[in-house]
Amino acid sequence: MSASLQKGIDVLKEVIDAPVASFFASCVHCGLCAEACLFYTETDDPKYTPIHKLEPLRRVYSREYTLLGRLGKMLGLSKPVSDDELEAWSELVYDSCTMCGRCSLVCPVGNDIVYMVRKLREGMAVSGHAPQGIQEAVKRTIEIGSPMGVKWPAIQHVIKDQEAETELKIPIDQPGVDVLVLMSSMEVINYPEYLGALAKIFHKSGVTWTLSSEASEATNAGIQIGVSDLAREIVARIVNAAEKLGVKRVLSPECGHAYMAIRWEGPNLMGRPFPFEVVHVLELLDELRRAGKLKMKDQFTTPVTLHDPCQIVRRGGVLDAPEPLLRQVVSDYRPMPDGNKWNWCCGGGGGASSIQEPAAEALRFKAFQVKKRQIEASGVNTMVTFCSNCRIVMEEAVDHYEMKTQLLGLTELLAAHLED
Amino acid sequence: MADHGTLEQRLAQQGISRRAFLKFCTAMASLMALPPGSAAAIAAALAKAKRPSVIWLSFQECTGCTESLTRSHAPTLESLIFDMISLDYHHTLQAASGFAAEKSRTDAMQEFYGKYLLIVDGSIPTKDGGIYSTIAGRTNLDLLQEAAKGAAAIIAIGTCASFGGIPKANPNPTGAVAVSDIVKDKPIINISGCPPIPAVITGVLAQYLTFGGLPELDHLGRPKAFYGETIHDRCYRRPFYDQGKFAKTFDDAGARNGWCLFELGCKGPTTHNACATTKWNGGTSFPIESGHGCLGCSEPDFWDAGGFYQALSMPATPLTFATGAAVAGAAIGIGVSLANRAKKSAAKKAHQAATLDDLEK
Repeated sequence: MSASLQKGIDVLKEVIDAPVASFFASCVHCGLCAEACLFYTETDDPKYTPIHKLEPLRRVYSREYTLLGRLGKMLGLSKPVSDDELEAWSELVYDSCTMCGRCSLVCPVGNDIVYMVRKLREGMAVSGHAPQGIQEAVKRTIEIGSPMGVKWPAIQHVIKDQEAETELKIPIDQPGVDVLVLMSSMEVINYPEYLGALAKIFHKSGVTWTLSSEASEATNAGIQIGVSDLAREIVARIVNAAEKLGVKRVLSPECGHAYMAIRWEGPNLMGRPFPFEVVHVLELLDELRRAGKLKMKDQFTTPVTLHDPCQIVRRGGVLDAPEPLLRQVVSDYRPMPDGNKWNWCCGGGGGASSIQEPAAEALRFKAFQVKKRQIEASGVNTMVTFCSNCRIVMEEAVDHYEMKTQLLGLTELLAAHLED
Repeated sequence: MADHGTLEQRLAQQGISRRAFLKFCTAMASLMALPPGSAAAIAAALAKAKRPSVIWLSFQECTGCTESLTRSHAPTLESLIFDMISLDYHHTLQAASGFAAEKSRTDAMQEFYGKYLLIVDGSIPTKDGGIYSTIAGRTNLDLLQEAAKGAAAIIAIGTCASFGGIPKANPNPTGAVAVSDIVKDKPIINISGCPPIPAVITGVLAQYLTFGGLPELDHLGRPKAFYGETIHDRCYRRPFYDQGKFAKTFDDAGARNGWCLFELGCKGPTTHNACATTKWNGGTSFPIESGHGCLGCSEPDFWDAGGFYQALSMPATPLTFATGAAVAGAAIGIGVSLANRAKKSAAKKAHQAATLDDLEK
């Protein structure tokens, strides 16, 4: 295999740009990002301070692109970034960072720390320091088409089941429709009823839609591991399929990182604007709600609270859709403290949930304690969310802590109470 | 010297009226920043005060402090009140000499043990066993240690006694130190200045006689009432400083118009003393009024604190410097940015698309 330190350093040299330079130059070392990071607040370990996680990137920046750093390098005063150092940082860059973006939000000088973590991962990945779990997810995505190894026949199976459940036809490879629906493998395996829910809602509201047999996977492990070349290949499948079918819109599923990948990173990876619009399923549902096309027959009466997925709300900008949609279907909504853009991550985003090492898993559970406190503060046992990855991670943690919390997906909840 | 009668009696004998005495007390109260009502209290206390025994030891000094006190003011009340203490030993002022003089010192030390006030001017040499200054065959160090034992309090008069002063100036050949470097177990008041203002000396004495205690001191052991503010803060030329009007030479238009002497080396901003308010020579003036900057003589190590005519800090000729810096900065910036661009585009050109193989070593 061909990963090497030199490749890693070369890539870092390539990805360091003006924003990175200005971020490092303007950091005032205030430490506010530490207080914003769940891996720091739940462990009190200063190594989890977000800006510290970027130390190898800062070193490369300093040695290659600053006057003093170059002098130091020339005179042999500073040591080059080593393989051992990158290996030591792997835990900080992958296990303990979910790219939730809370640090970027609180930074008083406006440093986008996640933006830099994303760039540092580029160097970590090609120098062979990405965790094995994420490496395997990337391999499966490139080779099979899904990070979890889901193949088209498995999806066909889910389609059949949901067609039987809803008594509605689920269209495949239908050109010229309004919406190309994407799925995440987690939905195919864990929450197939999401597909049925969409079928019901679209049937009722008259939205024309289709699945594509060529591109059904919305998630992008290439972005999570930090290899743009692979991420581009993955996102190109969707773009090609959507262009071939000539759809107006591509619908990102409930998965948070999928939305980040297609909506925000996608056009940059492809280097051109898309001829179609990318919307998150909640954006589309809220549009239908505002048009009066999403009427409920009854309401869900159990008290619920809401978990806002980072990539959709804080980083994705879908700030205003979730609450009105939730209020549409539930009668007793109890917001949790630090909701909306201030929410705390489930602990498993950014590829972290695919890292299988016991230490990483234990750290995820530890980090979940902040979410646990939030749930407890809301005082209810039912939590609605709209990201399948959040949902799986939190269900595992709920079991781990033997909590009574039950998790629900917002789209399914809406479909279940939809007017007949 | 044996007469330890009350101050009022002594003043009457000297022909000082009660009215003059009260005026002095009011002046002292205001100098020490005490409330107006305390003037009466000072008068009452002083009138009844017994003359305390005072032993004055002079070490490595120039007698300027004594001069300041006795000559410049004589025969004003300040010097008279000084006369009203029982000065049992003072080299310069005493009539006695030789064994008789030393005897009067040891007698006073015995009789008033634990009660006498010890005044010291001059620094104490410590190098080579202190042999650089001796009196009656004994070193200053020895004399000070002996006299300090029975003292109620010590007043270090002048910058030499307070901080080491000129004898301590670089290279300090005699190993001169301040009183407070030697005596650690007695209250010490530092009345610094080269020389100190006479009214400050009498003010501290009046306070001691009136209240029996020491005044509030700053971090250098100086009475806050007199050393609480800088010369600069109370200087009558301060408005010119605020307006940025500075004399550039001692005979330019600025100097003639009385502008700020900062650029000519005035140490007023860093010097704590009462010169600008109390003034010298019976309230006539102080150095800055005579057109010369403050030397900073009441501060430690003033002799070694750069030249007397060197400004504390100088703004660089602003425009020239800023332009030069901007041009140099821009040039370096452009150079670095060109180099960085080249490096980044080279890295881009060398980019080989990453494959799955690149994820593992």
